[in-house]
Amino acid sequence: MMIILLAAGLLVCAFQSIRAKRLLPSAIWLAGASAVLSITFYLLGATQLAVFELSIGAGLVTVLFVFAISIAGEDAITSRAVIPKPLAWGLVLLSLVLMGWFIIPIETRQLAVEETGLTTVFWHQRALDLLVQIVQIFSGVLGLLGLLAEAKAPLSYPVAEEVAERGKREIDAMAPSILQEEEA
Amino acid sequence: MNHLTLNAALIGVLGLLAVGFYALLTGRNLIKLIIALQILVKAALLGLVVAGNVNNQINISQSMAITVIVVDTVVAVIGLALAVQIRRQQGTLDVRQLSNLKG
Amino acid sequence: MATTIIILSIALPWFGALCVWLAGDKKPQRTHYLAMIFSIITGCISLLLLLNFDAHEAVDVFMGGVFGRFTLIPDGMGVFLAIVAAVIGCLAVIFSIDYMHEEEQLARYYSLVLLFIGAMIGLVLSGSLLFMFVFWEITAFCSYALISFHNDDPKAVAGGIKALIMTQLGGLGLLAGAILCYVNFSSYQISVFLAEASSLPQTVLSVAAFGFLLAAAAKSAQVPFQTWLPDAMEAPTPISALIHAATMVNAGVYLLARFYPAFKDVTGWSFAVMLVGFLSAFLAAVMALASQDLKRVLAYSTISQLGYMVYAIGVGGVFASQFHLMSHSVFKALLFLGAGAVIHTVGTRDMRQMGGLGVKMPLTRTVYIIGAWGLAGLPVANGFFSKEAIMEAGHANGPVWAFIGMAVVAGLTALYSTRMIAMVFYGKPDVEKDIHDAGFAMRAPLVLLAVGTITTWLLAGPFASSLKASMPFHEFHLAGTFELAAEVILAPPTWIVLGVIGLGILLWLARRWFYGLARIFQPVIRFAEQGLGFEHLNRGLIKLTNSTAKLFQKSQTGQLNWNLAGLVIGLLAVILYLTWRT
Repeated sequence: MMIILLAAGLLVCAFQSIRAKRLLPSAIWLAGASAVLSITFYLLGATQLAVFELSIGAGLVTVLFVFAISIAGEDAITSRAVIPKPLAWGLVLLSLVLMGWFIIPIETRQLAVEETGLTTVFWHQRALDLLVQIVQIFSGVLGLLGLLAEAKAPLSYPVAEEVAERGKREIDAMAPSILQEEEA
Repeated sequence: MNHLTLNAALIGVLGLLAVGFYALLTGRNLIKLIIALQILVKAALLGLVVAGNVNNQINISQSMAITVIVVDTVVAVIGLALAVQIRRQQGTLDVRQLSNLKG
Repeated sequence: MATTIIILSIALPWFGALCVWLAGDKKPQRTHYLAMIFSIITGCISLLLLLNFDAHEAVDVFMGGVFGRFTLIPDGMGVFLAIVAAVIGCLAVIFSIDYMHEEEQLARYYSLVLLFIGAMIGLVLSGSLLFMFVFWEITAFCSYALISFHNDDPKAVAGGIKALIMTQLGGLGLLAGAILCYVNFSSYQISVFLAEASSLPQTVLSVAAFGFLLAAAAKSAQVPFQTWLPDAMEAPTPISALIHAATMVNAGVYLLARFYPAFKDVTGWSFAVMLVGFLSAFLAAVMALASQDLKRVLAYSTISQLGYMVYAIGVGGVFASQFHLMSHSVFKALLFLGAGAVIHTVGTRDMRQMGGLGVKMPLTRTVYIIGAWGLAGLPVANGFFSKEAIMEAGHANGPVWAFIGMAVVAGLTALYSTRMIAMVFYGKPDVEKDIHDAGFAMRAPLVLLAVGTITTWLLAGPFASSLKASMPFHEFHLAGTFELAAEVILAPPTWIVLGVIGLGILLWLARRWFYGLARIFQPVIRFAEQGLGFEHLNRGLIKLTNSTAKLFQKSQTGQLNWNLAGLVIGLLAVILYLTWRT
């Protein structure tokens, strides 16, 4: 019963996350979804995973998002979507209804109780995964340092201030015509 | 775990997938798209855990899920760093205007 | 022993290509000499292959899964062509030391040449259809890259792309054949294909046969694919000598010869092959007569001689065609290199601006005349014996009208060769031009090839016996060198053809009497200069390809949402497929 409620809560949080008008509430709703998910994991038996998900999903990723949003700033985006909403809904619903038709009636099976604990599985049986994770983290750090390095030479393409400058110039160029209309 | 709860969890997975894909198709802000990616990964994690529960091999599915979380976090980090740089250099996060690879 | 030699003969030029590329362009002398050393070593090693003929695989590596076994077989046909490729490659590289003396980007040039030599040796020695296709494609790439070597010249780039598109379309025929072989026999091995070809249903065998004919015609610039070779003359002349006269264009003829036992009983195939060869020989000879560009004349002449070889296969003279292939490689490379020496000095390819060069370039004139001697098929050059062998096979097995036509083509060949020599080396010299004879690096290959033109026919006997010994599927009824020579000299067709050739030479010398006749043919000549209408077809084909590409370009909008929608549609497709399957 709890899990049905939690699943519903998860869907609500995710939906609110993408529906929010501003980015910061979006990120906070994502953290909420993470928290709900973590409780679901605990109830389904994946106890250590729940801890992981809570600390990383609701902790690290949310902090990252808040950082990025504060640096990148929030602008109102006024352009229309490339793909019309009905089409998007149609595609998504079609694929997921079909997928659901495949997987939904899931049968529980009476399998033998598993003996190996998480430690053995994680560190020994799936040692290759561990290696991949280490390499990933390392490359992620390098990528981050490379991306956020300060440019040594002046950039050859416009920076935000210059873009704003250009916008202002365009508005100034339009202004005289408005004056002319008033005079005429 | 009984039948109903597991199926409810699976419906949750499908619902999250739907929300994530919809946001990917219609989102215009780059950071919103990264949030949509995160939602999709959460759906995958839930699916993994349900499968582990059903097959009574929860530890294997937990190890896989931990790997997925690490990978997904690194993806989010790099994606956000890219978004910050794009904002600095192109001046906008609007996906519609970021079409330099056209043609 | 054979294994090591074969692997070295492919690996060494490729290793050399890597070394030359790393050596860079800073010190041109170093690049020149490095390339020369590698090509000479390759030539010598390939000559060692003469000692090891075998019908069995010398190299056999299982490449896993669906790729089959990678095999290299040193049988007679393959070894001789490999030696031709390596030796003429070596001579072309030595020639390039002088010819490309002041050029830039030599590292790219030499590494591509060495890569090509290795790939060509691999192609002719390959025993697996799939890897033959791989080597085929590598040679096509090197050909394209070398034609467009001067990549700031739009004509060169256009020529390169045209060559690439046309030979690749032909390559599809080869791939289709390889896949057919695998589907039916679970193996890509050529020996398996030849042994069991008769067990295939007629339709499948016909598809394979005509697919291979298509691939061979495209690669060897036969009708209707002959338009890429004249445009490929934008390449530097040593490349024209190596790739477009002596080696790559022979790959098509080699393909037909190797698969002849499998396809000879397919209805209409032999006739189609003969017809393609005959048409190419005739049309190209007419176009050569009308052309004013020295290298274009040689290009059309190459198409015409390849037509001879294809015609020979069509009438069943497989040995004659391979023998002519060997002779043609030598004298055509000689003619191209000689033309290169002339063009290097004069600075233009237009024959109307040359004339009287024989006075200041005596060595070049002599070797050029020897080359033309072989081209026209006069005794005692190697071209005489091989061309007459072809005519004999044609007289014995083919229709009479084809034999008469090919004899006329022999006459036309003599006519345009005489015209070429007269326009370039005789006549009134232009005293203002600064003409000097070729340097040492150019002279050495020229002299060697001239000696070869006069002597390689002596190898006919060993060639024949090696073919008989190492190719189990072909039927050869052959003898030693002097028996072959006697057979050729005493046969009636030989005298007929010699007569026509003599007529051709006389026609040029007596041309003033025939100018009236020539004026009647003027519109034909102008039509021939335009490539006999094939150019229009080709331009249409290229325009079609370009517009289709532009149509597909519209789907690349650069919008992220659009790409993601593509992803979701893909997901939908997969799920639909799975639904349908259950």
